[in-house]
Amino acid sequence: MFELFNPQVAVANIGPLLGGLLITVELTFVVIALSLIFALFVALAGMSRITPLRWVVKCYVEVIRGTPLLLQLIYVYYVLPSLGVRLDPFSAGVLALTLNYSAYISEVYRGGIQAISRGQHDAAAALGMTNALAMRRIILPQAIRIVLPTLGNYFISLFKDTALASAVSIQELVYTAQVRAALSYQYFTLYTVVAVMYFAVSFPAARLVGYLERVTRAGYRRRRP
Amino acid sequence: MTMGTGRPMIEVEDLHKHFGKLHVLRGIDLSVATGEVVCVIGPSGSGKSTLLRCINHLESPESGRVRIDGRLAYRDEDGGVFKAHSNRAIAAVRAQVGMVFQHFNLFPHLTVMGNLIEAPIHVLRQPRAAARQSAMELLVMVGLADKADSYPEELSGGQQQRAAIARALAMDPKAMLFDEVTSALDPELVAEVLAVMRRLASQGMTMLVVTHEMSFARQVASRVVFMDHGRIVEEASPEQIFGAPREPRTRDFLRTVLER
Repeated sequence: MFELFNPQVAVANIGPLLGGLLITVELTFVVIALSLIFALFVALAGMSRITPLRWVVKCYVEVIRGTPLLLQLIYVYYVLPSLGVRLDPFSAGVLALTLNYSAYISEVYRGGIQAISRGQHDAAAALGMTNALAMRRIILPQAIRIVLPTLGNYFISLFKDTALASAVSIQELVYTAQVRAALSYQYFTLYTVVAVMYFAVSFPAARLVGYLERVTRAGYRRRRP
Repeated sequence: MTMGTGRPMIEVEDLHKHFGKLHVLRGIDLSVATGEVVCVIGPSGSGKSTLLRCINHLESPESGRVRIDGRLAYRDEDGGVFKAHSNRAIAAVRAQVGMVFQHFNLFPHLTVMGNLIEAPIHVLRQPRAAARQSAMELLVMVGLADKADSYPEELSGGQQQRAAIARALAMDPKAMLFDEVTSALDPELVAEVLAVMRRLASQGMTMLVVTHEMSFARQVASRVVFMDHGRIVEEASPEQIFGAPREPRTRDFLRTVLER
């Protein structure tokens, strides 16, 4: 064990690895922010009365779900330039991950919106609300609360999926470890530290999601002193 | 018992509605005058609720006309071809007609106060303070002043339904539609909701009430409509409907429900 795990190597590499973790976290948060918004538009377009719009959304979601994320990353970074779209690695990673996660999250949103009963739509309509107003003020606030724990789980898996972005040379955690390991051959030590770092973030995050689940299940109640 | 002033507030003309092959409304003609309380009774599946939902355009009938306060609502007709009004125009008519549902349909993510002021603020563009003040007056009227900050699921069924009535009244509607509003309540909670409705009727509100509460219909209605199989079978004063119904089907129905 101690022949394999070299504490000195670990300490010497902790700085660059934490730098990689920072890129990983940054990438995660940028993609969360973008896909939360983009996926909402995808979900609403997918439920639109305009048939061609629904088809476009359907095709997009099915293509994304039917192809590997790694391929999508490679496609955006290596294939788009031949179509004249040249992106730096980070932007390519953000684009591919956002497109991928938005497809899945749009389905989560759709499920949440459809879980709201007909009676809520009726009541909003009977009060003179237009569909758009009812969606914004009545349906979405309830739907988002329903899907919050599911979204949390998706974002934890996004955090881990960003490791695939190493394939397009984003200098995130795994990429940093690969470069360092290639120089020093200290695979065991470096990748163990990397694993601990991923776990140290995703485990507390998963606990937070568990807490969210309990809170949302409890229903809407007045907070009493 | 309030009598109408004669000016028709809700007019329905030759309304037809199918659900698939089922012909739910088979040519309904009905008029409710301002200040009138019309109760619609009849067996389940007779089309009573569908009629109410068509008046608010929550269902769209295949043919027929609905007029609210003298104006053709929801769509125009040109030689038997209907052209729907814009969503905004439809919403504007609905804003003038209050509706109360069997299952309350309060917004669970808003407090009782939030439920009452939501549409006045966002549909009628009332200032928040004014909306809150009139909402509070309505909550006093329905006996829920102390529940303003509670969430719907913290209330009993009767309280929820009274809040739902107050929510509809907060829009200052020209007429109110009640769709079996006591059917989902425990028996001991029915009276408190009916009391609010009686009060409303005595204040001159125009009301169209689909109900199974025969004593309410007998005491409060200015007119009772008996529906069966998508048609209005008989329409008369409560005295006549409950005392000496003309139609055999009305007699049969009343015998079954009153003998319980």
